[in-house]
Formats: sequence, structure tokens, C-alpha cells
Amino acid sequence: MLSGSDTVYVLRYFDVIGRAEGCRLLLTAANASWTEEHPEWPAEKANQPFERLPVLVERSNGNEWILCESLTIERYLARVFGFMPTDLKQAALQEQMADQQADLLSAFFAQLTATGDMKPKQIDEFNTLFDRMVKEHGRILSRSSSKQHLFGDHLSYADISLYAFYKLFIVYLKCYQSDIAEIVKSKLTPKIINLILSIEKEPQLAPHFSKCDTMAAIFTAKDF
Amino acid sequence: MSSSNASYTLRYFDAIGLAESSRILLTAAGVEWTEEHPEWPQEKLNQPHGRLPVLVEKSTDGSPDFVICESSNVERYLARTYGFLPADLKQAALQEQLRDLISDVVSLFFTQVQCKNKEDKAEFQTKFEGLLETLINVQTKLLKDNGNTGRMFGDKLSYADIITYGLYIKLVVGFVKFNADIADNVKSKLTPEIVKLISTVETDPLVVKYKSRGGSLVAALSA
Repeated sequence: MLSGSDTVYVLRYFDVIGRAEGCRLLLTAANASWTEEHPEWPAEKANQPFERLPVLVERSNGNEWILCESLTIERYLARVFGFMPTDLKQAALQEQMADQQADLLSAFFAQLTATGDMKPKQIDEFNTLFDRMVKEHGRILSRSSSKQHLFGDHLSYADISLYAFYKLFIVYLKCYQSDIAEIVKSKLTPKIINLILSIEKEPQLAPHFSKCDTMAAIFTAKDF
Repeated sequence: MSSSNASYTLRYFDAIGLAESSRILLTAAGVEWTEEHPEWPQEKLNQPHGRLPVLVEKSTDGSPDFVICESSNVERYLARTYGFLPADLKQAALQEQLRDLISDVVSLFFTQVQCKNKEDKAEFQTKFEGLLETLINVQTKLLKDNGNTGRMFGDKLSYADIITYGLYIKLVVGFVKFNADIADNVKSKLTPEIVKLISTVETDPLVVKYKSRGGSLVAALSA
């Protein structure tokens, strides 16, 4: 672990799942000292380095260090707390999954806001990308030694990122599109559902579920 | 650092697109590399995520080639392997966050292009310009804080320098076919510090032999 025991983190974001769940899960799994701040918005916009959230504040030995952009924050925390492989090739294989997931989120918003003849095209693109991604998750899982983890037999960045991604689509994005959870659930294979629920049961993540629901209740017997 | 015996294939379209920063990184790394322009969409299903770019690192020992995708991931892998991203986690993260902001600027640009109705187009044009302005302010401040040397961090060519150059060659040259006004729009917003970075990257000894299919960005800025 590369962080001192006197290091504390503040995650600044809105009080929603949004784009910060991966960061929250990493800080939890790391057993880091951390709190969350929900800045007044847009009043606090100009006080953020990139005028956006999330922002990570790291305080250690009287010094303060600030990082922006959700994916960069995730990769940084994953490296500091040992969830990212040190081997560059192995790390790249995990990082590309998070980048693919970010593309899916963009594709979701693109199909949501499209109008006219672009709408069916964007919906089709989203579905194609999503189905392809689920297949890729399945392929990686089938090559993993453990069916509870994507790589190796420990909780990794890829596992946490995948969990945050599916939680985003199944629990959060219905505030934008009411049927998205059902659409996404119908695309998942039993093995992927089993992976999601296994990650959820990781002891390192237990404190996270003192503040929110697990997804176990969302997947009924017929989903498996 | 990886062995200098490594050789690479970069698969992408025959366009500036999202691959220019990777091309520059491969050039600056001094490794052997070639480019492949797969038949599209025929080759879609043969790519890990059904998209381009893809980077193939050719194996030298009979094991399968190492294949990765996603433009920013390819860039980070090359940058870390060849020392353009620092080993220090904080220093690397400060550079990486710039690239994530760039992704969002590019994404807003494409959303605007794809909007058919005038109000939506105008809305996304405003969002694109707003975020670009934020990005330009962030980039300019970094350049000023580093002594306005045309480098964002330290005194050598860095990942941050390269991906910044990659953004502007996209916007000023590469994306003109999508939106004819974008080049003039972006050029008018560039600060002297960013113009100096562009020139510093293009003339860097490690980069100077790279000839972009888009031509010189320095020349495009003065056109």
C-alpha cells in the first residue's frame, strides 16, 4: 500500500450514484480514511480545478493534493491501494474495460437524446455495443481461474469497475430512462449475474452496503 | 521499460481521428511500428471491442501477440512503457486527468455533429465550446506555471504534451470534414502558450520525423 496511515481522502461529488460509484467502492475496498462532500452546485463550480465533479482531495502531513476526472481518480486509487496490477500489460487489459464502459455510458446518453431518424440508429448502436461488451466480459470470465473475479482470485480494479458500471445501469439510470434496468438485465448472462453478486459479497466491500442496497434482491431466480 | 526489440501494429482508419496521439507516441518511443487499415465494417468482429484503434504488440517468443484497444488506453500503455508518463503515481495522474477531459470535449463535438435538429445542435455547440474553454484555461495555466517553455510538465516531451497536440490536430485539421467552421473557431481560442506547445511538440527531436497525413499543425494554425 502506497498511502500513509495518516492520509485522508475527500471525494467531492453530487449525492447520487452517477459517475462516482467506482471511486466510492475503491476507497471502501481499500479501507481508506475517507469522507464525501456534496458541494453546493453550481455555486462551487468555479472552485473546482476543471469546474466539474468528481474531485478527489488527498490530505497528508498537512499537504493537500487534488485530482479530477472520475476514471483518472479510479485508476490512481486502484494503483495506490494495489487493485491494479503493476505489470503494464495486465493493467492495460483492466483499464480498457473501464474505457469501454465509459463508451457505453456515452452511447446510452446519445440514444437517450437522439431525435428523428438518428434515434433508432443510436439505440441500435447502444444495443450492439452493450451486447458486445457483455460477450467480452463473459470471455474474460471464462478465462479467469475464479468465477468470482475477472482476473486472478482477488478483487481487482476490473471487478470493482464492472460492478459500479452495472449498478449504474441497473439502479441509477432509470432516473433518465425508466426501462433501462430491464433492458440491461435482459442482456446479462447467468455467469455475469453471478459475478456481479459475488463481487458484492466481497468482505472488503461490506461497509459500502451499510449505506445502500445490494443488487441481490434485483435479480430473481428467473434471471439465472 | 519494455525491450527495444518490441514492434507494433496500429490498426485504425486512414485518418487522423483518434489515433494521432498513439502514432506520435510510437514515433517518439523510437520503436518499429506499422499501420494497418482494416476493411470496415468487415473486420469489426475481429477486434476485441468491435472498434478501432487497436494496438498489437508483436510477440517474439511464439506466444500470442498482445492486443489492446480503446484510444486513451493505448496511449497510456505506450506512454508508461516508454517513459512519457512518470512512474510517480501522482505525477502520472495529473497528466492523465487532462486526457479524460479531452475525451469529453471530443465526445461533445461528435454529439453536436450528430444532432439533426437546430436547437439540439446549438445546445451541444455551446456545451462543446464551454468545455473546450475550460480545457484551454487548464492547459494554459499548466504551461504558464511551467515557465511557458512549450512543455506542460518538466523539461522533456511528455504524454500530456503529446495528447494536447493530438487534440488540436483533430480539431483544427482532422474534424474539419465533420464541421467546416470548427478549425477557425478553435484557432481563435488558442492562447499563445498552447500555440507554443504545438510548435514545441512538432519540432521535438523525438517527433520531428513523424509526418501526419494532416500535414503540419503549425502550418495549419498560421493559414
